[in-house]
Amino acid sequence: MSQSTAVAPRRARSSATTGDAIFAFLAKSAGVLVLVLLGAIIVSLFIGALPAFRAFGFGFLWNVDWDPNQAIFGAAVPIYGTILTSVVAIVIAVPIAFGIAFYLTELAPNWFRRPVGTAVELLAAVPSIIYGMWGLLVIAPFMATYIQPAVIDTFDGIPLLDVLFQGPARGKGVFTAALILAVMIIPFIAATMRDVFMTVPPVYKESAYGVGCTTWEVMRSIVIPYTRVSVVGGIMLALGRALGETMAVTFVIGNANRISPNLFGSGATIASLVALNFGEAQQGSLLLSSLLAIGFILFVISFIVLAISRTLLKPRAAK
Amino acid sequence: MSATLTASAPSRNQSVANNLSRARHRTNTIVKGLCILATVIGLMFLGTILFTLIDLGFGGLSTKVFTNITRSGPDGGLANAIVGTLIQTALGTAIGTPIGLMVGTYLSEYSAGSRLGNAVRFVSDVLLSAPSILIGLFVYQILVAGRGYTGIAGGVALAIIVIPIVVRTTEDMLRLIPTALREAAVALGAPKWKSIVQVCYPAALDGIATGVLLAIARVAGETAPLLFTSFGNSYMSTDLGSAMASLPLAIYQFAGQPDADLVQLAWVGALLITFGVLALNIVARVVLRPRS
Amino acid sequence: MSMTNDAVNTETQKANIGVMQARSAANLNAPRIAINKVDFFYGTNKALKGICLDLPEKQVTGMIGPSGCGKSTLLRVLNRMYDLYPGQHAEGEVMMDGENIISPGVDLNQLRSRIGMVFQKPTPFPMSIYDNIAFGVKLHEKLSKSAMDERVEWSLTRAALWGEVKDRLTASAMGLSGGQQQRLCIARTIATRPEVILFDEPTSALDPISTLKIEELIDELKRDFTIAIVTHNMQQAARCADQVAFFYIGELVEVGTATQMFTSPREKRTQEYITGRFG
Repeated sequence: MSQSTAVAPRRARSSATTGDAIFAFLAKSAGVLVLVLLGAIIVSLFIGALPAFRAFGFGFLWNVDWDPNQAIFGAAVPIYGTILTSVVAIVIAVPIAFGIAFYLTELAPNWFRRPVGTAVELLAAVPSIIYGMWGLLVIAPFMATYIQPAVIDTFDGIPLLDVLFQGPARGKGVFTAALILAVMIIPFIAATMRDVFMTVPPVYKESAYGVGCTTWEVMRSIVIPYTRVSVVGGIMLALGRALGETMAVTFVIGNANRISPNLFGSGATIASLVALNFGEAQQGSLLLSSLLAIGFILFVISFIVLAISRTLLKPRAAK
Repeated sequence: MSATLTASAPSRNQSVANNLSRARHRTNTIVKGLCILATVIGLMFLGTILFTLIDLGFGGLSTKVFTNITRSGPDGGLANAIVGTLIQTALGTAIGTPIGLMVGTYLSEYSAGSRLGNAVRFVSDVLLSAPSILIGLFVYQILVAGRGYTGIAGGVALAIIVIPIVVRTTEDMLRLIPTALREAAVALGAPKWKSIVQVCYPAALDGIATGVLLAIARVAGETAPLLFTSFGNSYMSTDLGSAMASLPLAIYQFAGQPDADLVQLAWVGALLITFGVLALNIVARVVLRPRS
Repeated sequence: MSMTNDAVNTETQKANIGVMQARSAANLNAPRIAINKVDFFYGTNKALKGICLDLPEKQVTGMIGPSGCGKSTLLRVLNRMYDLYPGQHAEGEVMMDGENIISPGVDLNQLRSRIGMVFQKPTPFPMSIYDNIAFGVKLHEKLSKSAMDERVEWSLTRAALWGEVKDRLTASAMGLSGGQQQRLCIARTIATRPEVILFDEPTSALDPISTLKIEELIDELKRDFTIAIVTHNMQQAARCADQVAFFYIGELVEVGTATQMFTSPREKRTQEYITGRFG
């Protein structure tokens, strides 16, 4: 026995250590590839955007023109539209998502949690093109016929509100786009909130129930303070997704190059502008470069938002 | 001293307590009601979408959808788009899964709190939520510009979306494996890579497979990254070196057309892609999860 | 622990010691492994201080002591398990066949094939019963199918599991009971035919009947293998071990034959520990 083992391991030694070295190298290379990928995305967009940045300088950021005929481009309108639709979407989505998460963690009977949780997760899995199409062919006509005329009439003459919600009721527009976006991000926010609510140690909740708190009081004074940072992180994550969402918005935003406080009016986001204009952009044209430039700006904005979100959600630290 | 305290302790005013309690319970009931309402609204959205898809898409479902290529008129089908989606999704998964698996393995088994590991994890998480249209622009810049639209470019764009999804599930699943299992393999004299490949991967298989299925479900419905890479094609093409059709792109192109036949095709495509994606999700969640 | 329990424990101990004396405390064999002035560090925290201990060949060395005393740490020094974790390192000498096995040049995979280990909780791999055994063997030997079948049967028989699993060798190992899983892990360890086997509290997750089976197995295995076992259970040490080493806060307080340790410990701390006064 000792003789046979004495010979065999010597071969095993070299193959084992080289095997380990190769595998470790492959794993590390794959890790480095991810970093390279991000770097390549930034650099390639930036290089493509250079002609536009050269031609328009920093003015590109606040120029409101987007005129392919005269080859004058500015990013102010799509930046405004991107931020406006995303913020309105968040305002609509957060309360509903919070309600769902609260229901799922504290209120729903046990047997009901899994099916409802799965349904919410399925809502998140529906491809964004479906939301866009549904928005265009179902929600926009519905808004134009029922919701918008009523809202416009009701708010007519009320300061501020009559500026935010003015006619004509065309269905498409910033508000409809934000609404579709909200439906899309509700499940993301709800799922994140549910997961962070579950991290609250039961003993905290029990001690609050122990002094006679109601379910809502436990939520308000124990669960929310305990998870506040992560909840904000989850909302930022959803905001990051909303900023760059293309298909759900492109169909229903109306594609008009203007800045207006009217939420029922048409607008444009960076993603919708890129999707709709790319077909006409010639290789090497200033239009193409400008599209890449707003793409670069979108990348910077979403990177910042996602980075904040990751920091708040706490990196899954290495054990 | 304790006696003094007991003596001076204020007695509870029962009517104040009762009023307070009533108000508190009213708030509680209202909030609960609102939460149930929110959940109903959320479920209603899913219900409405599915209902609309079945209502408007099911009628157009026939064999010609699977045999004919996309064209206007009553004879139009989606065969080229279905084939294109299958090819590009398969290509994206085939490229993205091994890379994602290796990155996840690196993060869980090798990086151990190193700076590089933390950077890779952070960047991968950012890519996970990065706007997919920018992935399309990126692949356009490196593979399409000056060369033309190709199915390969579409597959690469989808692969970039697959990678971070697989990274995350792989890392999470490998971390769930007890250290003792790794140590047991190492204690038998197994080199580290064998203990990972032959012991840890099988132990994490359910979870990793779930991640891959969810990644497939995600990219099968992606539209924005294909716009500038595989572009779409009205004819049947299985050539990876030329432009290629796909279901999401067909929906994108047809849904807004003033042509009832094309809109009908778009609804059929939407029905197919949605139920395909939901089925993958259900398989991933219901069939694979509970076992692990 | 209550007074009554203490009393009961001491009674049991006395009974056990009685049995052991009847078995007649054997003399200890020549060392198979000689540990000489070993220090161990978790980062800068010194967890073992100048340990000197011989493991006598084909006998059982029991390591006892309160939690955190370093007994498991010492076990993990012997098969270099600490190498998996950056920041942990050992200094000193652990001699086996004239080689210091904690020196950097040692081939760890080969070392671990010679020094097997069984863990606190059963660690079946997610594969069939047969493949669990074959996994370790394949790492170090190239066997024909029939030779492998033979080896699997041999090791399962030695681990007293063959009768229970011979009809379902292709079934998943995860389906076995906890006690069976632990015996499978023992079979897997002996299948690679190591010279030394380390047991790290092998029965702490098992019920009394499974525990008894494992203890009988250890007694049987020492005919062929040199064994070290870490245990929290004093009775177990008394039942299984030929030599007992008592650790306290990173130091080896006392070592001797089992009889001597449980009847007439030289050190006060040893006496206090084995009579259940602390730990």
